[in-house]
This record gives sequence, C-alpha cells and structure tokens, in this order.
Amino acid sequence: MNFRGTLPTLILQALAQAPSHGYRIAQQIKERSQGVLDFKEGTLYPALHKLQNEGLVDSYEEVEKGRPRRYYRITKSGRAVLAKDRSEWRDLSRAVTMILGEAR
Amino acid sequence: MTEFENWLKLATRQLSKDSSAQVRREIQEHYELTRDSAIGQGASESEASRLALVALGDPRTANHQYRRVLLTSAEARALRQVRWEAQVVCARPWLTGLLLGLPLIALIAAATFFVIGNTSIARDLLAAGIGMGILFLAPFLPIYTPARGRVFRGVKWIVLTGLLGLAFGSEWLKWSWLLASSLWPMLWIEWTRVSLRRKLPVEQWPKQLYL
Repeated sequence: MNFRGTLPTLILQALAQAPSHGYRIAQQIKERSQGVLDFKEGTLYPALHKLQNEGLVDSYEEVEKGRPRRYYRITKSGRAVLAKDRSEWRDLSRAVTMILGEAR
Repeated sequence: MTEFENWLKLATRQLSKDSSAQVRREIQEHYELTRDSAIGQGASESEASRLALVALGDPRTANHQYRRVLLTSAEARALRQVRWEAQVVCARPWLTGLLLGLPLIALIAAATFFVIGNTSIARDLLAAGIGMGILFLAPFLPIYTPARGRVFRGVKWIVLTGLLGLAFGSEWLKWSWLLASSLWPMLWIEWTRVSLRRKLPVEQWPKQLYL
C-alpha cells in the first residue's frame, strides 16, 4: 500500500515506546500493520536522518551481540510532533470514512 | 563486485566521503540483520542475500532520498570553504582591518564627492560602501542564532537589491548581462548554504552559515 508521507509519523510512533535500531523499526511497522504497510527498507534511513536533522529523534551507538548498532530515540519535540500528527490523522481518517461510508 | 556492493555504490553516488561511510555502515548492518533473519527462517545463504537485497529496494531511489538529507560532495566542499574563509579572516588582523576599513573609505569618499558636487560618483561610492559594509562587516556582527541570521539575510538581500537599483537605475536592462553573470556565483553560494542549513544541526553551523 502506498503510504507516502506518513513514514516519518510511523517511525516516531515506533520509537514512542522505546529506542530502537533501523531494522527493528522496519519490522515493527510491517508487523503492526500486518504486512499492509510494506515499504522498501533502503528508504527508512533517509527518513530517520531527516527526523534527526529536524531534531525529532537523536541517535547513539550501543553494542548488541558483539556488534555496534545505531539506536534512535524520540526527543521531546518529536513527541509533540507525533501527538499533532496523530490528532490530524484521526480527523482525516474520520472525514474519509464518513465519505466512503456514505458511498456504499 | 557483489550485487550488494553494486547496490551500495549506486546508493552512495555523489554523497560526501563521511555521508557515504555512514550510509555504507547502516545499510550493511541492516542487510546483515535481514539476511540472518532469513537464514534463521530456513532460507539458503544465496536466497537470504537475494531477499535482503530485494527488501532494500531500488538503490537510485534511496540515493535520491539520501542526497536530500545528507551532505553531497559538493556541499561538503562548500562547507570546507566556509570554514576556511572564517579561519582566514580570524587569523589575519590586517585582513580584518581591510574588511572593516574599505566600506568606511568608500563612504568617506562618497561624502567628499558629494560635497564637491560630483553626485554621480558620490552615489556609486555610497552604493559600493553600503554593499561592502553589508558583506564585509557581517562576520563581526553578533549573529549567533537562526532567527537573527534570517533577519540579517532578509535585510542583506533587500539592501543589495536596492543598491543595484541605485547603481544602475533605469539602465539595469542594458547591464543585465553583467548583473546576471556577476550575481550568479553569489546566488549559487546562497543556494548551497540553504541546503547546508537544512541538513546540518544548528550546533554544527559555522558562523558564515548564519549570514
């Protein structure tokens, strides 16, 4: 499914519970959407860098199973943006459901 | 060259050395985790490598997106030049004196020509003095926040446009070839700096990026 433009919000949501690394974020989005939101994983990192440039996430390195991994965590401004995005999405989703519901 | 190496080569095209190393590191890590997971689910090594590569998607799309958020080699070069400029100005007191003195000399000369009645030369010298003042004095002004930087850049472009109007007046169309060729490098530098400001966190901005 094409979900262009919503990937940053989905990343922020994935990071809202706990810090995570890129691979786990990708798996989490795919699993929680039950495979509906299937995206190419090469585009995940540019989105993460963009969020980092905007100060919505920050990153640190941690060793996991003997390998260094880059972990990302949501910042305070990231949480504020996520809350705003969530509210906008609810309004949009409600409006589209009302229209599509009527068109049955 | 393996298919994965080829993927990395395409995905890191035109990126700076540091950006390229970063992309290679994170994609390699991701690729290995995807591969290990596929092997854990019973795939053969070659099948796991193929699946991991498919999961990464088109390297050109990734490269396009990476170039929008990470420094390209041209931008890294521009950043080095910006830092070099700042070092050169700070390390040479005579250059600092020259930069501060030139606009002042132009303004004094403009006043002198105005007093002796040569208003045409006085007007050009006044425009040159103000223009040099805006460009040369900027590194010495207390502009250390993005908000102050935005205000300064707004003022700078308004003043420079006004000065060009003042210097060329109604003949601007006749001299448009000169204006276009001399302003083009300045606009290009400004455009590169806009991109650098977007990509670098504020705490990493050298002074020149505020201006």
